[in-house]
Amino acid sequence: MKNIARIAALLLALVLTLTTASAALADGYRTLDEIRDSGKIVIGLFSDKKPFGYVDENGEYQGYDVYLARRLAEDLGVALEIVSLDAPNRIEYLQSYKVDVVLANFTYTEDRAQQVDFALPYMKVALGVVSPDAALITEPEQLNGKTLIVSKGTTAETFFEANYQEVNLLKFDSYTEAYIALIDGRGDALSTDNTEVLAWAIENPGFTVGIESLGSLDTINPAVTKGNETLLNWINEEIVRLGRENFFHADYEATLRETYGPNADADSLVVEGGVVE
Amino acid sequence: MQDSGISILFKGVNFQRLLGGLWVTMRIALITIALSAVLGLVFGLVMLSRRRAPRAICRAWLEIVRFMPQLVLLYLVYFGFARLFGWDLDGETSAVIVFTFWGTAEMGDLVRGAVSSIPLHQRESAAALGLTPLQASRYVLIPQTVRRLLPQAINLSTRIIKTTALVKMINVTEVLKVGQQIIGQFYRLREAPFWVYLTIFILYFLICWPISALAGWLEKRWA
Amino acid sequence: MDWSFISAHVPDFIGGAWVTLRFGLYGVACSAILGLLCSMVQVFRVPVLRAVVRGYVELSRNTPLLVQLFFLYAGLPRIGIRLSAEACAVVGLTFLGGGYMAEAFRSGLEAVDRSQREAGECIGLTLPQTVRYVVLPQAFATAAPALFANMIFLIKETSMFSVLAMMDLMNVADTLRTSGGRTIEVLSMLVIAYVAILLPVSVLATLVERRMRYAGFGHQHSV
Repeated sequence: MKNIARIAALLLALVLTLTTASAALADGYRTLDEIRDSGKIVIGLFSDKKPFGYVDENGEYQGYDVYLARRLAEDLGVALEIVSLDAPNRIEYLQSYKVDVVLANFTYTEDRAQQVDFALPYMKVALGVVSPDAALITEPEQLNGKTLIVSKGTTAETFFEANYQEVNLLKFDSYTEAYIALIDGRGDALSTDNTEVLAWAIENPGFTVGIESLGSLDTINPAVTKGNETLLNWINEEIVRLGRENFFHADYEATLRETYGPNADADSLVVEGGVVE
Repeated sequence: MQDSGISILFKGVNFQRLLGGLWVTMRIALITIALSAVLGLVFGLVMLSRRRAPRAICRAWLEIVRFMPQLVLLYLVYFGFARLFGWDLDGETSAVIVFTFWGTAEMGDLVRGAVSSIPLHQRESAAALGLTPLQASRYVLIPQTVRRLLPQAINLSTRIIKTTALVKMINVTEVLKVGQQIIGQFYRLREAPFWVYLTIFILYFLICWPISALAGWLEKRWA
Repeated sequence: MDWSFISAHVPDFIGGAWVTLRFGLYGVACSAILGLLCSMVQVFRVPVLRAVVRGYVELSRNTPLLVQLFFLYAGLPRIGIRLSAEACAVVGLTFLGGGYMAEAFRSGLEAVDRSQREAGECIGLTLPQTVRYVVLPQAFATAAPALFANMIFLIKETSMFSVLAMMDLMNVADTLRTSGGRTIEVLSMLVIAYVAILLPVSVLATLVERRMRYAGFGHQHSV
């Protein structure tokens, strides 16, 4: 009992000290001007979600999201500082001001919009489910009682938790771990953005996307810290500007065409100028 | 792409980046070791003091360290303090704070153990020989304490190095994460995970083993 | 403090605590057995096995558990050895803990005076009988503090099982944190849960050690 009292006293002292010290260390989001003045913009991207955000063998970031990030930095006249993110920490990095913008293939949802501010969309997305050819899953009900692999912090996780409670979810922190688990047969299928699983299935023989579009038709939008109006407005204006030069179609050609092949229709994925067709 | 798994390590700058990731954790470990050594010494001496209050604080500190996994402490500082106090701590800084908190307590316990394991008669014999307390400390007690302390302290360093791997869990881009990025370059994953994780395993071993071998050698020499 | 959130998720935390405790104890049991065998190999100087054990101890004590788990869970299947998540958990803990347990048992065994073995021989016991009835009880008494410390250590190490997608206490907390926010509530429950698991173990350890001291074995604690 004495020890517990000692621990409690120490913790209380610690908390009091820290609270008083906190004022000095508190921070906030960076406005557009602050970003311009600092000479760099900090953008959070995936580093293992090919072909949207990944690191190639020369140590360079590549992908549909990265292409946009580079253009934003260029047009702002600052250097690009990339922070590697995983799905579960996208919101948290904005809320703790660790990044200015999140371009980690972030799907717009109303829940998320409570916690961060989304800009105009630049990509269409829905959920997809990929499974081994030998045991293809074509309907979500087939997953009842089976194991589905998801990445923590993704719309797939929320969707299946809310709508298909009979499905056992195996949750991983990163895409790499999730895909390895699928290949190792730790789950019967994997679900995340359909654009992603399609790309992965194309490059991994033996797996097929059995469910090509599940859940609502959503969009991928850039995200900034809640309240960061100056930055948000600039990004929105930028996306409209880029729309006039068909930037996102060029982005698709540069980063995604090789993956999806010559017959794929760019318009099924691309959103130009922030306007969803 | 018909690459076999192991060649993935030699493509481009992959291996250099792997080493770079390792350096991230090593940096954290080295700072932690330095801070813990100094603070731990103080901590240990405080634990031996005759005053109750400082000793009690140290005991409570040790208890916290004893009952909480380091990962939980890491979460508390990185996510908890960031929320509660609005601090902008990055992963590495949080790691140094948490690991130093832990390392200091461990080091302090080692110091206390080493000092109190010196039999009383050493002090008495020194006095009998006419040495002043200061001389006794310098020529008799401290050398013996150091001999008991150093091997275990070096082992603690190894443990600190191993523990820094935990920063993966608070999204620091260290060697395991770089390994995953490398695996993610090649969709045809196949044997890549085996070779990448095996390499990381070997890298850690190559760093830690010489250090613990040194500790073992010192222990034998000074037994 | 959102109390409704807390009460809604207590079952999740209990589930997580149960996973942590269960697998922690499996790991403790298996590594204790492995450790005991290894230490006996070392103390009784069994020829070839001794080198194997030495190599094993060096390997297990110089690599982090996190790296071992990634290798077991994601690396090995690529060369055909596919262990379930639970198997990886136990194998990982045993691999890591075995080395530490071996050291603890070894110091316990070596602390038992040779004369005890000889005395056993004198009264007509065979070597296995001597070991079982005379040496081991005394060795265990000496090793008890270290063994219990290892036990607490291994239970704390289970906090990494999220890489195996196992819902241990840490993973439950992390999943709640990333899906719902409410960081402070989640972290508070996490801390309380770990104390709730480890405090009884620590109390049990103290009780057992005290009883052994009464019987005349083990350390006479001075500090």
